[in-house]
Amino acid sequence: MTTGMNEQATAAAEPEPDLSCDRRTALSSAIFGGLMVVAGPVMIVDARRLPGDGSAMGPAVMPFALGVLLALTGFWLMWRSLRDLRSAVRGHPLRSHAALRVGGLAAALVAFAAVLPFIGYVAASAALFVVTALLLGAPHGWRLYAGGWALAALAFLTFDRLIGLTLPTGPWGF
Amino acid sequence: MEQIMLLLEGFAGALTPMHLLWALIGVTIGTAVGVLPGIGPALTVALLLPITFRLEASAALILFAGIYYGGMYGGSTTSILLNTPGESASIIAAIEGNKMARAGRAAAALATAAIGSFVAGTIGTVALTFLAPAVAGFATGFGPPEYVALMAVAFTTVSALLGPNLLKGLAGLLVGITIGLIGIDSQTGQPRLVFGMESLLDGIDVVIVVVALFALGETFARVMTGIGRSTVQPLRERATLSRSDLRRSWPAWLRGTALGFPIGSLPAGGAEIPTFLSYTVEKRLSRHRQEFGRGAIEGVAGPEAANNAAAAGVLVPLLTIGLPTSATAAVILTAFQSYGLQPGPALFEESGPLVWTLIASLYVGNVMLLLLNLPLAKVWARLLTIPPHLIYAAVLMFSALGAYAAGGTAADLVVLCALGLLGLLMREAGIPPAPAVVGLILGPIAEQQLRRALILSEGNPSILVSGPITIVLWIAAALSLLVPVLLPVVRRRRSTLARAGGEPK
Repeated sequence: MTTGMNEQATAAAEPEPDLSCDRRTALSSAIFGGLMVVAGPVMIVDARRLPGDGSAMGPAVMPFALGVLLALTGFWLMWRSLRDLRSAVRGHPLRSHAALRVGGLAAALVAFAAVLPFIGYVAASAALFVVTALLLGAPHGWRLYAGGWALAALAFLTFDRLIGLTLPTGPWGF
Repeated sequence: MEQIMLLLEGFAGALTPMHLLWALIGVTIGTAVGVLPGIGPALTVALLLPITFRLEASAALILFAGIYYGGMYGGSTTSILLNTPGESASIIAAIEGNKMARAGRAAAALATAAIGSFVAGTIGTVALTFLAPAVAGFATGFGPPEYVALMAVAFTTVSALLGPNLLKGLAGLLVGITIGLIGIDSQTGQPRLVFGMESLLDGIDVVIVVVALFALGETFARVMTGIGRSTVQPLRERATLSRSDLRRSWPAWLRGTALGFPIGSLPAGGAEIPTFLSYTVEKRLSRHRQEFGRGAIEGVAGPEAANNAAAAGVLVPLLTIGLPTSATAAVILTAFQSYGLQPGPALFEESGPLVWTLIASLYVGNVMLLLLNLPLAKVWARLLTIPPHLIYAAVLMFSALGAYAAGGTAADLVVLCALGLLGLLMREAGIPPAPAVVGLILGPIAEQQLRRALILSEGNPSILVSGPITIVLWIAAALSLLVPVLLPVVRRRRSTLARAGGEPK
């Protein structure tokens, strides 16, 4: 009985941490705010080189105003996020090598853009499908490769042949 | 009477074999991707935008209408059987519906959601038929100053409502407007924000931005956090309702519809508010209050009807004044623009047959969805057994295809990748992508209208508040900014006062 009361007293003395404020969210918000703070002056500099067109509102007005707003909002967001970061708690953990996986997927997309004109849509898309699935944790196996090829071929037939969207073809014609 | 005649002409267009086929394809794709976890209607429409590049406008819009309504239907299947709401409006279906499924009543939950969606969708479409032309008629008198004020309402409402807080909504909106400025200024021919890169002179295609922020952002996030493991509740019997279930469901469907359509039609309405409101109303009115939180059928019927009625309601501001009030509406606006059509009051005058064919196809799509969903519930449920890594790999593949189809160069794929990473950062930061899309689409229009207004007034800015409509709209914009800021302050003061009053002296 006494123990229970003590527990209640302890609970009353130490309020539970605010789980709504996730550390990752606060950190990402601060980075996003920082990017806006950088983008604002860049826009202002770009706007200042634009000539006026003699009217009340030339081409520079909107980017200039937007640059100021971006910098101010970014600063506000960064300040609030850094303040939240102090009391933020660790939320759901990321997967192992999360940043590496995201980088890998971005690299796969850029590689897809680079090889698309040379090896054609079907081969490039099948490869992109397989790499993405593996990065997401799919098991290796012939089904994955076959599925990638089948889906890419189906997309090619539907879009290129049926709908008339011209997709790049490799040396083998698809 | 005039509306009925126009609607009948719309039906004549919608009931042609080709248009029926596109409607069927739309509702089937919509339901299928709506069922797939994590893929809501906004992402679905974004992903499928490039499919329609070679279609005529009416066929494409019929397809999108089917996908839009189908996505709403499919989303409830995922919520009920997998406890995974595709978007915030499906959260209630996940709470109550999944509890029903766990208690072995998945079929009844799916049936009440499907029939409720049909009832609400049909009543909502009838209301849209009669309300939209009247709103459009009123808005035809809008000049540049009214449009500037209207854009201000759109910007403030989406910033305040389509995100966790005003600041994050505003950040998303500003990023969208910034992306919208990239390229050559249409009035003076001056390149802006291109930094000497030729590939940016034409601006960034809206489709690429939408696909990157919604589809790529989601895929990147899954790669980073993992795809998780969920348990699908089995569906053993046919999706039907017993007499008692029907008796409990139909008043909830009607109440949900009555809440969903009008709130969905408001510029700041959306689907979330009526859905949560409907749940509260059902909980208060129910004779089975003890079942709420454990799987009450009214708790599925009302909110599901409300969010489908709201989906029809969202089309009112979209079609009549060009105002998207939800993420999906913002993407549909992109679809209109890709056909050179600008939703707004002039749309009914300039493209009347097209709009009426679209409205008629909503009725057709609703009937198709009911016929497709009830008997085939088990087939849709089976889609939930597809491994998520294959789904997201396919999403990425189609995103890349969409970007290539929109731009036609490898540079567009690099832009897609960069914006996808920005989408990931936004997602991690809790910054919603919908205000960014609204800013991207409406930003350049707002600038154009502001310039026109200032030319009309020879540079005098007082033209922006020169009429009663502009004044009302500016007040609405100011209120939508102030209310989210002031409301927590008022609540805090009230609770402080209550605490102070409750304490013994």
